[in-house]
Amino acid sequence: MGNAQAKTIRIGYTAISVLVIGFVVLPLIFIVWMSFFSNRILSLPPEGYTLDWYRRAWQMADFRNGFFLSLRTSLIATAIALILGLPASFALARARFPGRETINTILMSPMIVPGIVGGSSLFVFFLEVEFLTGWRIAGSSPGLIAAHSLIALPWMIRLVTTSLIGMNPSVEEAARSLGAGPLTVFFRVTLPVIKPGVIAGSLFAFVNSFIDLEKSLFLVGPDRTTLQIALINYLEWNFDSTIGAVATVQIALITLLLLVTDRYAKLSRAF
Amino acid sequence: MSMSDTVAQMAPPDRPDRRPPRRIGAPFLTTPALVFVTIGLLAPLALMLRNSFNRFDPAELMISAFTAENYVKFFTDAFYQEVLLRTLGISALATAICLVAGVPVAYFLARHVSAFAKRMLLIVILVPLLIGNAVRTSAWMLILNDRGVLASVLGVFGYEGPLGLMYTATAVTIGLVSVLLPFMIITLNSVFEAIDANLEDAAGSLGATHLTVMRRVVLPLALPGILAGTVLCFILSMNAYATPVLLGGPTFHMMAPTVYQQVAKAMNWPFGSALAFILMSVTLILTVGVSALVQRKYRRWSE
Repeated sequence: MGNAQAKTIRIGYTAISVLVIGFVVLPLIFIVWMSFFSNRILSLPPEGYTLDWYRRAWQMADFRNGFFLSLRTSLIATAIALILGLPASFALARARFPGRETINTILMSPMIVPGIVGGSSLFVFFLEVEFLTGWRIAGSSPGLIAAHSLIALPWMIRLVTTSLIGMNPSVEEAARSLGAGPLTVFFRVTLPVIKPGVIAGSLFAFVNSFIDLEKSLFLVGPDRTTLQIALINYLEWNFDSTIGAVATVQIALITLLLLVTDRYAKLSRAF
Repeated sequence: MSMSDTVAQMAPPDRPDRRPPRRIGAPFLTTPALVFVTIGLLAPLALMLRNSFNRFDPAELMISAFTAENYVKFFTDAFYQEVLLRTLGISALATAICLVAGVPVAYFLARHVSAFAKRMLLIVILVPLLIGNAVRTSAWMLILNDRGVLASVLGVFGYEGPLGLMYTATAVTIGLVSVLLPFMIITLNSVFEAIDANLEDAAGSLGATHLTVMRRVVLPLALPGILAGTVLCFILSMNAYATPVLLGGPTFHMMAPTVYQQVAKAMNWPFGSALAFILMSVTLILTVGVSALVQRKYRRWSE
């Protein structure tokens, strides 16, 4: 292949990639830009710039409370996913036992079953439990947290299992043969080695719970809406730069979390 | 029996020679997670399947029965068939666009970019993926509405008058493609990276043009991975909720929003459950069918 030809091919690929990646990213850049416009009615070019929309978004109870509810729900869900997922990951990565593949598939299934199907079945299940026992779960905090833990769990298990499989167990063997007990081995040897996997798993679990829309849709109550639900409720009747301000905060938060994750694990491995 | 086997048998049971070790207690470590997923997902799904055979009653919500009438209703009511056909059509179109646009980008990232640039570009592609449907869709509303970014840009070139893009199939397709492209690019990128670049150089040095190399060497080798990416995009778009609701508007019906409407708004759980299972079954049958077909062709192609 000639040099000139190789160059043409390279330019062709670059041009297509710029277009395609631009198509994916530009909408987000526009919405961030828009959040600083001073126009009451959105139009281009902007009349001037202001931070007013951020103040307005903060003053709107739905967005402010939604943000804190989402933050709290996702943090608790991540913690539950960690508690349930860490031991399961150890078993899946280290041991060989009958039914291991089936168990793995079941634990990954919340990722596979479509959000709307999982959400609606959970909603009906919660209401039927309520009819039988009188416990109100749908629209309550525990119900929402349970659904979000379900979203978080498979991400945690997938990323922790990957890092456990990549670990050389002879390190633990060495520590044990030098007289370390099982707890010492776990906290002083295993955990430091798989820490990047645990951090990446927690961040992915958190982000996927934070941005969930489909499952939450069924489980939020009247004064208990997550940020994503507050956003689409607002979008149904309004469209102004308040949306832009909320979106910008979320874009900043998620970008930051991804940059942190990238320090610990290969991002593409999560998919 | 050889000497080493005897030694292995004599080794204490908690320290076997071969990895991974078999530990009696290990499966129990998965029990808490397993119980949680069973109660939170499998039991509700089983209940939903059972409910899909019940009868809806406006006063009592649901009457226990064993009838196929919800499924019959779907297949005799032209409205719901249209919803399914629209969902299938839009999903196929969006998936095809993602495939055509995703292959060159994934290949570019695998072959033409430095390791650092690739890492940065992957983050740039992952941010829109993990930003959430609500934010991404609102960004598209900003661009596509009649006084939005696109209309302003076209106005500079002298195009006046309404775009009429919002609340159309075009808007939904654009929104879906932007959701799915990152998935396609990331899946395909790891596929292309697994292919030995020397094969392409060899074909090239033997005189094959780049298009021939792609068609005869790279794409056949990447086919299983391309299939996986395509299936993933198709499944995700079959189940899309936010994009059709916000960009399609209240009169544009697709399957997932219809399931939500039936279960949470109309409270018709039996029919909503039947819809959910029809959606999952159609998606499953199509993806398994197409995968089998492509794989059979692939075997012939690679021989």
